[in-house]
Amino acid sequence: MEGSVRGSIVARIGRSLTAAIVLGASLVAGVAIAIVAGPAQIANAVVTGGMWALMSVGLALVFGVMNIPHFAHGESFMIGAYVSYFVFTPVHEYLKDNPNKFLSTVAPFAGILAAALVGFVLGAVIEKLIFYPLRRRTRAQWVMNAFLLTVGISFIFTNGATLVLGPNFRGIPRYWDVEPLQFLGMRIAVDRVVTFAIAVITLAAFWFFLRRTRTGRAIRAVSQDEVGAQMVGINLNFVHTLTFSLATSMAAMSGACLLFMFQAYPTVGLKPLYFSWYVVMLVGLGNVAGAMVGGFIVALLQMATQQFVGIAWEDVVPTIMMILVLLLAPSGIFGSEVKGVQEQ
Amino acid sequence: MKDTANTERNRLSKAWNGVVVGLERIGFSPLGFGLLLIIAILPLIPPFNQEHILRWLIMGAFFAAQAAAFDFTAGYINVVNFGFAAILGLGAYTSAILANKAPFLIVQPGISPWISIWIGALVAGLLGLLLGMLTLRLRGIFAAVMAWFVGIALMGLVRNLPDLTRGALGLHPPSLLETSSNLPYFYIILAMMVVTYIVLRMVTKSHLGLAFKAIGQNIDAARASGINPTKYRVLNFTLSCLFAGWLGGFNAHYLCSLTPQTLMHTSKTVEVLAIAYIGGRGSMWGGMVVAFPFVFFIEYLRSNLQELPGLHLVIYGVLMILVMIFYPDGVAGLYRWIVARVKSRFR
Repeated sequence: MEGSVRGSIVARIGRSLTAAIVLGASLVAGVAIAIVAGPAQIANAVVTGGMWALMSVGLALVFGVMNIPHFAHGESFMIGAYVSYFVFTPVHEYLKDNPNKFLSTVAPFAGILAAALVGFVLGAVIEKLIFYPLRRRTRAQWVMNAFLLTVGISFIFTNGATLVLGPNFRGIPRYWDVEPLQFLGMRIAVDRVVTFAIAVITLAAFWFFLRRTRTGRAIRAVSQDEVGAQMVGINLNFVHTLTFSLATSMAAMSGACLLFMFQAYPTVGLKPLYFSWYVVMLVGLGNVAGAMVGGFIVALLQMATQQFVGIAWEDVVPTIMMILVLLLAPSGIFGSEVKGVQEQ
Repeated sequence: MKDTANTERNRLSKAWNGVVVGLERIGFSPLGFGLLLIIAILPLIPPFNQEHILRWLIMGAFFAAQAAAFDFTAGYINVVNFGFAAILGLGAYTSAILANKAPFLIVQPGISPWISIWIGALVAGLLGLLLGMLTLRLRGIFAAVMAWFVGIALMGLVRNLPDLTRGALGLHPPSLLETSSNLPYFYIILAMMVVTYIVLRMVTKSHLGLAFKAIGQNIDAARASGINPTKYRVLNFTLSCLFAGWLGGFNAHYLCSLTPQTLMHTSKTVEVLAIAYIGGRGSMWGGMVVAFPFVFFIEYLRSNLQELPGLHLVIYGVLMILVMIFYPDGVAGLYRWIVARVKSRFR
């Protein structure tokens, strides 16, 4: 089934046609936004795009390596936002009374780093506590079971956050209290520049890790062939835990970075989750490289929707795009790297 | 003298056998039917005849019917309809708009709710058919994610078309009956629950059910034995959505208040999903048995622990995860295990 579809000319034309439509649409969207709303909006889209890329890379990785459709990914975002808020705010309060230039530059990084660390540990704990026992019990119908488990995790985290922290919004106006940068006649807040830099550096480091290090190769080997990887002596349990930890960590990091755009509250993860699933389905399930590009495409399309259709329709437009993709190129515009998109 | 007693006993046991066979044909065990009868007379017995407990019973029957319709897809063809609540909401809104007589919407067809419920069911079934045709040729996860997307889009549509749905303000459709008592509504939803169960059970008992089970367990093997998986999966999905829309229509004209957030949100799907899975996937009756005590437990918790909002939802999540990891057969599996133990002891 898989071979016949992947090989068939119709599917190939469908995929390249959809890729052309989507890329063209995002290009047109970018130009249109730049003309109508000014280049500052483009900068906005690029910043969100970097974060969506960071989120969806984790999602693609977890699906590619562990075959888990991760529906608690937004909750990692939420936890990252909370952690960064609770680390950054006390320091910020302290700085109000005793100004300290060095500390005020470093404090936001501390918040973001703390979020990434908490995410990493949390990912390991969730993997060991929930997916490891299930993997030991049975691999039958794994995808659906894992999907339902993540739904349960998401439910526990959102409602647990409401229970412990209440439904209040916790946000900050900005991380760095400095003048916006002047760039090509635009004024861009330092937060956005730094956030974008963090996204790019993390993605590059992650790419290097996957491609060039021994552990990264092990992760890719597991995503290609689990049995073969086990035969050549790769420790599957370690790879699974590491993968999940990395994904959770990156999501938590993007939650922390975007704290100035998304205030922390229990269900803040819904929108990032929705958009990262949109990215992953658009580029092809499990396609990590595609997810990096897809994040920016989706951010542009999202910005265009807000600009020209109305912010209220933000939930409706992606669905229409998804229907198009599923009709023309079910394995995504860049193709899926997961073994078989057709039912196996 | 002894002979007549024997023939009498024979005749009785024959009659009993006839009853058992008859019940089995519509999908009930004697015990299950007994439970149904108990639930049916429960609102007439004193502690349960108060209006607020009646409301809980109605919610229980409503959840039970939803769990059956949900498990029909999740437990048989192994596809999770993650937009279940939104499709139910589509049925509810369709029925409510068609029944609307009040002047604050742009359309006032004013069709009787008794008729519009069926149209709502058909519309929901039609959406299920289209969605199924789009996604069910792919892996099951595509159907789940796409149903989720469509569910969120439907919620967005309801919010963005205030002329038709009054948006987030909420719609107030006319009620099914001109009474303030909950008792008649209880018997209506109980009947709907029984119809849902019997129809779906008849389908799963036929050759269709065999095909569904085969597809759910091993789709390649099913395909190799000449079953067209897409056809059967679409059929299954459509039926499930049809019943979801039908139940949504009842919800609309019983509560007489519809808002997108309380009706179509994904967390509503998760509630049904949790009940169906704790009850035991692939059994259909497991979720129905669990629904009643569960609703009572949750409502009790909610009314007694108001300072801890969301606790009952955390319990949903924890229970679901525990059942999924450690005891995937749920309550139905437990029952089967006990029956097997008892039988082996008395043999």
